[in-house]
Amino acid sequence: MKELIAIVMAAVLVNNYVLAQFLGICPFLGVSKKLDQAAGMSVAVIFVMLLATAVTYPIQYFVLNPNGLGYLQTIVFILVIAALVQLVEIILKKYIPALHASLGVYLPLITTNCAVLGVCISNVDNYLTATGGFGGGFVQAMFNSLGSGLGFLLAMVLFSGVRSRVDKCKCPECFKGMPITLISAAIVSVSFMGFAGIVENLLG
Amino acid sequence: MEPITIVIAVVVVGIIGLLCAVMLTIASKFMAVEVDERIPMVRECLPGANCGACGFAGCDGYAAALVEDPDLAVNLCVPGGATAADSIGKVLGRAAGDVAKQVAEVRCSGTCEATSVKMDYKGLESCAAAKLLFGGTGKCVYGCIGLGDCAQVCPVGAIHINGGLARVDASVCIGCGLCAKTCPNHVIAIRPADAHMVVDCNSHQKGAGTRRSCSAGCIGCRLCEKNCHTGAITVTDNLASIDYAKCDGCGKCIEVCKAGCLVALNITKAEVVNN
Amino acid sequence: MKNNKLNILTNGIIKENPILVLILGTCPFLAVTTQASNAIGMGAAVTFVLLCSNVMISLLRKVISDKVRIPCYIVVIASFVTLVQMIVKAYFKSLDDALGLYLPLIVVNCIILGRAEMFANKNGALDSALDAIGMGVGYTLAMLAMASIREIFGAGTWFGIALPVLSENNISIMTMAPGGFAIFGILIAIINKASNGKAIKKKDFSCEGCPSAAACNGQNCAEKREAAAK
Repeated sequence: MKELIAIVMAAVLVNNYVLAQFLGICPFLGVSKKLDQAAGMSVAVIFVMLLATAVTYPIQYFVLNPNGLGYLQTIVFILVIAALVQLVEIILKKYIPALHASLGVYLPLITTNCAVLGVCISNVDNYLTATGGFGGGFVQAMFNSLGSGLGFLLAMVLFSGVRSRVDKCKCPECFKGMPITLISAAIVSVSFMGFAGIVENLLG
Repeated sequence: MEPITIVIAVVVVGIIGLLCAVMLTIASKFMAVEVDERIPMVRECLPGANCGACGFAGCDGYAAALVEDPDLAVNLCVPGGATAADSIGKVLGRAAGDVAKQVAEVRCSGTCEATSVKMDYKGLESCAAAKLLFGGTGKCVYGCIGLGDCAQVCPVGAIHINGGLARVDASVCIGCGLCAKTCPNHVIAIRPADAHMVVDCNSHQKGAGTRRSCSAGCIGCRLCEKNCHTGAITVTDNLASIDYAKCDGCGKCIEVCKAGCLVALNITKAEVVNN
Repeated sequence: MKNNKLNILTNGIIKENPILVLILGTCPFLAVTTQASNAIGMGAAVTFVLLCSNVMISLLRKVISDKVRIPCYIVVIASFVTLVQMIVKAYFKSLDDALGLYLPLIVVNCIILGRAEMFANKNGALDSALDAIGMGVGYTLAMLAMASIREIFGAGTWFGIALPVLSENNISIMTMAPGGFAIFGILIAIINKASNGKAIKKKDFSCEGCPSAAACNGQNCAEKREAAAK
């Protein structure tokens, strides 16, 4: 139990997917202008990350590795993720239209996004050979995905707050728009560096 | 390398691809959402500002509601105006009513000459935030705070802040009402574009109090009410208000108003008596 | 004709530099540019994948149906990325360790899918190849510039060679995450200043370059909504 909490905390705070690992920068900088968009996008990302891990991890474990087809990982993963997200969109549109209206727009945007593929590949790299066989590794992988998604949510929501303030300020002409946004992101990233060591010291 | 490894690889990827394709095809057939094709057609007629003036959640919401409800008025889109109403009417085969063009009005005359600030405000540059601090930066707590929340939310950029007072450019304004919803003091009201005059004051303070806060504010003296021959302008709770339907644009109220908070817009010249 | 070919080639290097002008593919740009040698390696890998996939997609453009074109492009690109992964793992082990996760993530790099969408599926094989080389070279040069700045000031070395004064007085935050964001912002600001705001037309991270634009129909674009409202 403790390792699982440690995994989630590490993914949210210390190895934050956006601010420390630079995955998912495009939606981070693109959709974080408004708080409701940022929140919607992040929830969609958490959802897709969990779903993608749930499907790709078993595929790697049961189909690719036993047959010595590890090198097909990239192709198979991206195919499966793309098809899965498309399927989820169709199901949502039919059965939960309200959810589709709020989240559905972001789903195509996250399909070809490094955050999702990144989390799937890193799960496979880190947890496939973990103790506990398939079950133990799978649970750890799912918690890692949850943590990464929550870290994305935290970064997006915080940054949208920062951006709304930055937009109201005066800055030099050549810095307007993207440069000042990036520099704000740099400062937010520095603040997250303060979390280094928190997991080891809190959870022993 | 044996050919069997190549074959296994190709077969595995092929099967996974095929499974995905089959799954998606089945899903798109069985879980297809029936979309009435008139909805996109109606949606095309709407401007796409997603302002909410029609009362629905964006243009998509109004388009869907129009197709579903045969009795819904087609002229609810203010930004789209008569053109939108006509084209919707053509698509759905219904009669388009008249769309009265509306614009926003900032009901405040508190320029720098008329009033002043009561504090040196150094907080967040937002009217909503300033309002939380003793009712706002100006001496009059009912008036325009002038920090531009309305200008920011305006989808067409019709609002500009001049000297701490917001002003709407009626030629650009589409009458969507977002500014009126955003203003924390409810200073902005939506009026007909062809109104003859407006009451540019929002203060319910008694006459003496208003005088202290702003020289251009309505003191509730009722001179306008007494001089109006149609009964269009009335004073309620120390503030004059105009019934646009009854006003015929004679301009008498503007002549007699001592404070100067009544503004002429389309006064018919023949009836204004020169002083 | 020859001028045209030269134009296509140099387009990607200066006028439409994928990173600094089109602002695509930012994730690896920020992550991998901690050392100049990594930047060259990543740039070479991206150029190779870009070249191969552009040519392949251009050759197949008449055959692939429009409805399934995005998944097809992704599969083609993924195959070449796998190829590159295998070559790097076999012959350049240190590069493989340095690039880590970002090597397989080339497959979702917006530049590759973006160029396939915007150029390769409309032009012949030779033009697509030239465009790919141009874009790849532009990308590599931009990455080299960024990595050099970060490595020289952040670690005091360049391509691993320690520099006299700087290696004792290095600003190590430059090689870390915040440094990446900040230097990128400053680079764009410099380009804005040098071209008087004319070079970078993209004012925000909106849909234009994003390959998913076809799928989401620009519903996220505040710009499109504002343009429609006017």
